[in-house]
Amino acid sequence: MVVVAMMTACKKDHSNYDYKTGEKITVKGIESNYTLISELDRLTLTPEVSSTEPNAQFEYLWGIYETNVQGSAPVLDTLAKTKDLNYLIKQAAKGWVLVYRVTNKTTGYSQYINVPVNVVTEFTRGWYVAKDDGTQSDLDLFLTPTGIVPTGKRENLYSTINGSKLPGQANLLSFLSAYKSTVTGTLGNTRTLVLSTDKDVVTVNVNTLKKIFTLDNLLFDAPTVKGPCQVFPGGGTAYYLINGGNVHSIVNISANIGKFGGRFLKDASNTPYSVSKYFMSNTSSNAYFFDETSSTFFGIGSGYGTALSSISDVTGTSMSASNNNQKLLYMGLKSGTYLPSPALRYVFTGCAVFQDKSNSSNKTLSNIDIDGYTMKLNNTSLTTADQLYNGANMTLMYGQENLMYFSVGGNQVWSRNLSNNFEKLEYTVPTGEQITFIRHKTGTETGYAYNYIMVASKINGTYKIRLFNKASGSISGTPVATLEGTGSAKDILYISPSVSESTNTIQW
Amino acid sequence: MRKLFYLVLLIAVAAVSSCKQDQYYLYNDIGRVQFGPEPNRIYTTSYDLADTLKPYTFYYEDASVKEDTIFFDIYAIGGTTKTDRIFTLEQEQIPNALNAVAGTHYVAFNDPKVSKFYVIKAGSVHTRVPVIVLRDASLKTNTPKLKFKIAANADFQLGEQNKLWRKIEVTDRLSQPAQWTASFTQYYFGKYSVVKHGFLINSSGEKWDNDFINNLYAVGGLLSYYQLTMKTALINYNNAHPGAPLVDEFGEVVVFP
Repeated sequence: MVVVAMMTACKKDHSNYDYKTGEKITVKGIESNYTLISELDRLTLTPEVSSTEPNAQFEYLWGIYETNVQGSAPVLDTLAKTKDLNYLIKQAAKGWVLVYRVTNKTTGYSQYINVPVNVVTEFTRGWYVAKDDGTQSDLDLFLTPTGIVPTGKRENLYSTINGSKLPGQANLLSFLSAYKSTVTGTLGNTRTLVLSTDKDVVTVNVNTLKKIFTLDNLLFDAPTVKGPCQVFPGGGTAYYLINGGNVHSIVNISANIGKFGGRFLKDASNTPYSVSKYFMSNTSSNAYFFDETSSTFFGIGSGYGTALSSISDVTGTSMSASNNNQKLLYMGLKSGTYLPSPALRYVFTGCAVFQDKSNSSNKTLSNIDIDGYTMKLNNTSLTTADQLYNGANMTLMYGQENLMYFSVGGNQVWSRNLSNNFEKLEYTVPTGEQITFIRHKTGTETGYAYNYIMVASKINGTYKIRLFNKASGSISGTPVATLEGTGSAKDILYISPSVSESTNTIQW
Repeated sequence: MRKLFYLVLLIAVAAVSSCKQDQYYLYNDIGRVQFGPEPNRIYTTSYDLADTLKPYTFYYEDASVKEDTIFFDIYAIGGTTKTDRIFTLEQEQIPNALNAVAGTHYVAFNDPKVSKFYVIKAGSVHTRVPVIVLRDASLKTNTPKLKFKIAANADFQLGEQNKLWRKIEVTDRLSQPAQWTASFTQYYFGKYSVVKHGFLINSSGEKWDNDFINNLYAVGGLLSYYQLTMKTALINYNNAHPGAPLVDEFGEVVVFP
């Protein structure tokens, strides 16, 4: 027993008693990041490499792999095995990582340098405008190569590249950063613009402006109704399509090919419904819809399920979320708040303007608190003394001041403080112009930051979009820029390589 | 103390005597043969018993089609040889079941029409095994079962015990496709019935056979799409037939989970 114990107690010492300082390989001459135009720019790098080992003999490897990959592991594509790199960028416009590996063949020690590379095209940065001529829609791009204020314009870009305009009058313009397509030859995330109209919708590869799908093939089967359409992202990486009042989704966290699924049921009896074009949704939580047929709110979580989920009333609500006999004149999101533990979920505040179906002169402004599938509406009756009573082109400022903007009389821009109901005339467009939309959007990218209230108007077959800075919720001074083009502008969106689908809440 | 010693000794003896080395085949004694999954699945243990049962129906085929071939995969173990090796199949009767009849429901395994293919070629360890099923008129009302197994012969002894047989259920009616699996039942379309199957075909215009179901899994989002649209179609059918919902051959109301 003693011998056995002694034998098992012995163990060979494999410790390292070499106290020499570890090798350090230094690489100089590589920037911290690069932004390059695909098929145009060359990545020309001549790094200086040194080692603390005096007799180092190096071997080199340059590689590149893509970011924002879903459904597969990124693969390192070898570019060169030389010290210097002179490589024509051919990668698709998106985020990549350049890898430089230096190995000391003598010691086997390697040093890795990883550098973000933004590959862009001329289409990947600028203000996109959705517009129409009354019957067909198109996209204009206002180029912003050096700053957020445009310095150039490409008109009718969608039809120029794709050969025809999109049928119908333009609705929303939205952006999906993880939409699945095979535009690169393999199924993968595609930065995608979505132009919606009252008759059609198209997904567009923002790198090339080439269309991916239109309504005819955006669903698994050709739809029996064509428009009005809206596409927007929701929580849980879901994408939603409203087509002719019917709701469809893509559960983007699951395998998919960029096609929307079947029409959601309202209930187990397939009761007819038709949701409003107004919705409350962004990438942080559920999406909320209003059925115009039954005057009832519904929700969907993460795009899952076969039926719209009903909404329960919270005690003290001014009006039921179900069968409230209202027509929806506007609805949007004001803010999303993440609740701490143990809740760990987002709650929304929104706002809606209703018109009573039985008495159309009765209009109501409703502040909405939403938590999951419960809702509390806090109503304020509107009278003819309220400018909002005759308001149009309403919009909200997501995540900022508790204000609603709207137009009155076709040419006046008003704001309404939703906390105290104070209304203020913010701006009047010149005589003859008619306001077509108001939007508030923000961006924080260094060198391209903005916080604009944007007022679009039309006159004599042309549009003007005035970009105003905002100060304490109000329009500040004269326009920073005015974007002009032919047609009637219906929406605007700023796109750049750093923009994602969560950058701006897509809403009317 | 002595009792404890005997107890420990007893346990030790029991533990030692209860161990017995499993008599695994070493695959290097003689040539053996056994069925298996498709070649790309042979190293996936969960597919070890795949394809043991292959339902087949002539339902979708044109009336001019009088026979069809069903393939299985068979593997030689023990290495390759320089000459072709023949393997032998024979039917096994299933008790208390309607067994297929050679010449009526399938081409007999000793018929040269098929037996000439029952060969593992020189230098190979795998081949596909064709079984020809015949479209007998009785298949309009019956679903006979054909269970067959490997028989030892001069070239091959038997492989692993649970990989020596395969089964076919042949009919000319709608029948549960092999891909209508337990998970397909549990998560997507519920319990199989011929009535439900027919409803799916009529509502979608698709076959809902193995190829179609495989494609549902292969195309991302397509399975959910059909789950929703077929559920909608069933609701619409039941709405159009108040008080008379769709009922299957078991007398149960057809539902999709």
